[in-house]
Amino acid sequence: MAEENAQQSYGGGGGGPRPSGPGGGPGGRPGGPAKRGKRNFVRKKKVCRFCVDKADFIDYKKAEILAPFIQERGKILPRRMTGTCARHQRWLTVAIKRAQNIALLPFAAEL
Amino acid sequence: MEERLYDLIFILRPDTPEADIDKVISTLEHAATEKGGKIDSVNKWGRKRMAYRVQKLREGYFVYMVIRSSHGEVVKELERRLKVSDPVIKYLTVRLDEELKRQDKLKRHRERRAARRPRKTAPPAPAMPGAEQAAAPTV
Repeated sequence: MAEENAQQSYGGGGGGPRPSGPGGGPGGRPGGPAKRGKRNFVRKKKVCRFCVDKADFIDYKKAEILAPFIQERGKILPRRMTGTCARHQRWLTVAIKRAQNIALLPFAAEL
Repeated sequence: MEERLYDLIFILRPDTPEADIDKVISTLEHAATEKGGKIDSVNKWGRKRMAYRVQKLREGYFVYMVIRSSHGEVVKELERRLKVSDPVIKYLTVRLDEELKRQDKLKRHRERRAARRPRKTAPPAPAMPGAEQAAAPTV
């Protein structure tokens, strides 16, 4: 078991193929081999929602599609939280700010 | 000069009678045509809750229109009228034609790319047999 762990860490470092554990499907790794070496977090890859929809334009008039990208207090969520790509985040901030100006979205939550 | 496309949204007091709303819209239409612009569409969104309070009001009557004009005088005149108009509590004009142009460009780009390589369906699984071989001696 120990040897297998070592093997895994080598494979992981090179970014190459990893031997799949007994019955372990892709992504479904048990938290077992976290004892030694670097900890292996399995993080879900976030994908830009606008890229999935192939959006060429983010409409500021549709407050309901912008709403998931602001915090409860009205702040715009950063890219690292939402997984939006750089280009779409750029468009998104513009759209959110326009929506704020015409009272479709709040600047700050009211008390 | 080429024609420009604008979005104009304005919010009226929620207690404005229907007749007054129509009057505001018709005066705007009149002013726009006088200055050489054109109103493509008028869309009444009706009473909506605003995201924050404006002039101590929580609700407003939203009107959305699309304007076409070749010079900025039209927008200037419309905004001046909205500013002096009593029932109007908020307005916003956004120039849209540049964004539409960009949208068009991206769309064309994507279509070209899709046309160029329809064959690409590469088999993504050559790495797996090697991995099993690497694992086998250790077990």
